[in-house]
Amino acid sequence: MVTKPKKVKITKAESPTIKIGDLVIEIGEIEEDTWGEPLGPSPKPSWTELREWDKKLLNRYEPFYSPTCDMCCLCSYGKCDLTKDRKGACGITQRAQQARLILLECVIGAACHGAHARHMLEHQIERLGADYKIDLGLNIETEAPIYRTVIGKKPETLGDLLEGMEYAEREIQNLLASVHTGQEGDNLDLESKAMHAGMIDNLVKEIADLAQIVGYDFPKGDPDAPLAELGYGSVDKKKPLILFIGHNVAPGAEVITYAEAYGKADKVEIAGVCCTAHDLQRRDKSAKIIGPLSEQIRFVRSGIADVIVVDEQCVRTDILEEAMKVKTPVIATNDKMGLGLPDRTDDDPEAIVDDLVNYRIPGAFIHKPEKVGEVAVKVAERIAAKRAEFKGRALPEEEELKAEAARCVSCEKCQRACPVNLHISAALLEAAEGSFERLASLRKLCVGCMRCESACPRDIKIVSLMEKAAEGETYSQSYKIRVGRGPILDTEIRNVGAPIVFGEIPGVVAFAGCTNFANGAQEVAEMAEEFLKRNFIVVTSGCAAMAIARYKDENGETLYERYPGIFDAGGLVNVGSCVANAHILGAAIKIPYIFARRNLRANFEEIADYILHRVGAVGVVWGAMSAKALSIGTGLNRWGIPVILGPTGTKYRRLYLGRKDVPEKWEIYDAKTGEKLVTDPAPEHLAYVAESKEEAMVAIAKLVMRPNDTTKGRQIKLAHYIDLHKRYFGTMPEDIHLYVRTESDIPFNLKEVIMEILREKGWKERKIPDPTMLPRLIMKKKEAGK
Amino acid sequence: MRATSWRLTMEAGPTKAKPVNADFAARIIKQASRPALAIGARITEHERLIEFVERLSRAGVAIIATAHAIRYTSERGIPAYKAGVVEATHLLTDPDWEGFDGKGKPDLLIVFAINLDLENQTFQTLKNFSDVKTLSIDRYFMVNATYSFPNLTEEAWLAQLDELCQKLGV
Repeated sequence: MVTKPKKVKITKAESPTIKIGDLVIEIGEIEEDTWGEPLGPSPKPSWTELREWDKKLLNRYEPFYSPTCDMCCLCSYGKCDLTKDRKGACGITQRAQQARLILLECVIGAACHGAHARHMLEHQIERLGADYKIDLGLNIETEAPIYRTVIGKKPETLGDLLEGMEYAEREIQNLLASVHTGQEGDNLDLESKAMHAGMIDNLVKEIADLAQIVGYDFPKGDPDAPLAELGYGSVDKKKPLILFIGHNVAPGAEVITYAEAYGKADKVEIAGVCCTAHDLQRRDKSAKIIGPLSEQIRFVRSGIADVIVVDEQCVRTDILEEAMKVKTPVIATNDKMGLGLPDRTDDDPEAIVDDLVNYRIPGAFIHKPEKVGEVAVKVAERIAAKRAEFKGRALPEEEELKAEAARCVSCEKCQRACPVNLHISAALLEAAEGSFERLASLRKLCVGCMRCESACPRDIKIVSLMEKAAEGETYSQSYKIRVGRGPILDTEIRNVGAPIVFGEIPGVVAFAGCTNFANGAQEVAEMAEEFLKRNFIVVTSGCAAMAIARYKDENGETLYERYPGIFDAGGLVNVGSCVANAHILGAAIKIPYIFARRNLRANFEEIADYILHRVGAVGVVWGAMSAKALSIGTGLNRWGIPVILGPTGTKYRRLYLGRKDVPEKWEIYDAKTGEKLVTDPAPEHLAYVAESKEEAMVAIAKLVMRPNDTTKGRQIKLAHYIDLHKRYFGTMPEDIHLYVRTESDIPFNLKEVIMEILREKGWKERKIPDPTMLPRLIMKKKEAGK
Repeated sequence: MRATSWRLTMEAGPTKAKPVNADFAARIIKQASRPALAIGARITEHERLIEFVERLSRAGVAIIATAHAIRYTSERGIPAYKAGVVEATHLLTDPDWEGFDGKGKPDLLIVFAINLDLENQTFQTLKNFSDVKTLSIDRYFMVNATYSFPNLTEEAWLAQLDELCQKLGV
């Protein structure tokens, strides 16, 4: 269906009885329905329309709260102490306050992706026109599975996507209003609204990525997307280097376009940190990824960048201050962050370049991507020679490192400020004696937050010293990553739909999110490798995809070199940036649509119900940091996909935990008979924190189980669960009886052992249902009311 | 005794832990009807930690092994319940939960060797949503527990743990 304003203009018409000149008739909207699918129950749903679905989830998966702060300081009645049974001046309880903050964070996340999507979409419409077709190639007919399910329309052009944006913006406003003092006070309604915000987040990410795929001709689901370079060692330090930081590739893409148009492509180096880097590579595979978010200030301090272009999200707010120390001008490009810089958008590019190259201004705010393209390239070329003394030489010399380290008085304030509790003082003491190994080893665990430096009473530049100590390895390493491929092909879903739903492909594991790791980035790669070896489908995006790349085997190869990029068993699929991870959810949605022929159109509940009970997918956000990561995850939860967070994820304040010891929590309907029955606790949790990678791996193997697994599929899943449990916990799972439904579920080689356990537990065989939580999906109507 | 939170930003509000030494901690444990000790992934941080778990188990403290700590309790033959730390904490907030053995919910949760963020958030959950008392015997002052060892050097911490076990007769 397409909604477009129509204009009919008659300049001249004559008949014997009528004469018309310059008549214009404007018809507001014409609904052209080119999608034959019947409209489902929830087109563009408000929160109230999906509230009952959320309540079903929240009854099974109870919110678990762990406040990071016991007080509320959101209005001037406060601060209010909400500890335990106390209430705030507005009447709010601690539970509601935690849910309120969760909602606030989810709305912030959704707004961030929404504003990004709006910017990208309008930019592409400006470049290409509203009628520009959304065409993802022959193998992708289902171009926008989230959009189709939520909005109830099939977008055919860039202009069509505006309707989705308008819906999202209205919902975000309503949700944010709920956070205000004297509004929502029920924690479950607040959680339900957080889920609504999460779903909106998923929608706008899909819009943003569709717009940029189409507009910049990014790979359209190519399983053989090329390998590209990542790491400090991947850049040619002799060339002028433009560093991009953030998530919105519009200015970066224009820089590449300008460089290509003016024969500069080989003369300047294009590199990025965080998600913009992924999208630069999707635009041009010769662009380099420096690394994830955690590398931001470290690379800036290296002085290698000749000009820094920031767009939006995950940019350090002190970026200008840090850049100025190494004489690197900064160009702010997006109205989300002007950095206090003068607005030069309407000025002559040559004048801006001249002011930047001669340091008359530390940076410029230019919110027109095309102009950024010209200015950034010219500044990089002209300033590189002038700042040669800083370029790659900004780190302290060894003697300076020793002298600086010797100033440490071991007050341990750095360690107390460090989110990973690194023993920094001890490493500095050794460095002062000329032994740098311990300090260098900390780099792999450091999340790059800089709080140690901020806390140091002697103003020691700890991160720079760490960087110097690890310089040899950091500056020489380069790694291979597969360019973000974007969506999953419909043809791939046709191949894997049945094996996923029946459990024969043991599961889909998606590693996404930031680099706030408790034990270093390598753990993500180790987990990914474990599940690749086990023939899971491993999907990744964002900083997690970069973390996976920064891990080589004994042959010097990364996982991207060793595993194919196909969405199939044993495939490692990098979809791209954070907004591209909408395609991971999109793949889960396409399974009921393509494999099971369920309608998508405005049919959220049925699709989510299907995914929850049949699609063995689990997200792992091992280093979650941002509000965006929370809203993405909460959105996935609403669609029925469980998410495992690393230890730092506990500071989000809320999880959704199931109770496998309470059977009535696991009541479902058998859609074939209408019978209400208790099913296995699968997936056991919707949002879970694992403390160690070992715990996470066992949890992944368990959380991919679904009530609908065939006996063959359950055998395979149980075999992985038991094997990982024995390997990392040293024991058989204590809850195995809950996941064996019939004897045929038991892995053949473990039959004797498991039957013995089942006898001890008083296990009884259970029916394998056609599971649903929605009475309207019961096929025998007369039993629906039971 | 005065103490400040090891990580200053962990101070969540006006209700703060009482700093205690090994002697006081032993008295708290003795007074509890059903004390339990939760340990986690940091159990390998020092080779002696598992020894203290074993001794506390012998003193009648139920052991909850979180993360992959069950591997180390099993190797030493220490009886333990396995649960994720958030799972165990969630159960403790349920007033009707009858405990892992079905005989009653722990009334005191002792904690050490868990990731510090998770430890702190565990204390925060139990402080706000349960009547379970908490005691941190980690080497860092955990400001949101009911009781906590103060910040200690590693050497002093191990000595306190040893003294605690001795006071409990193990």
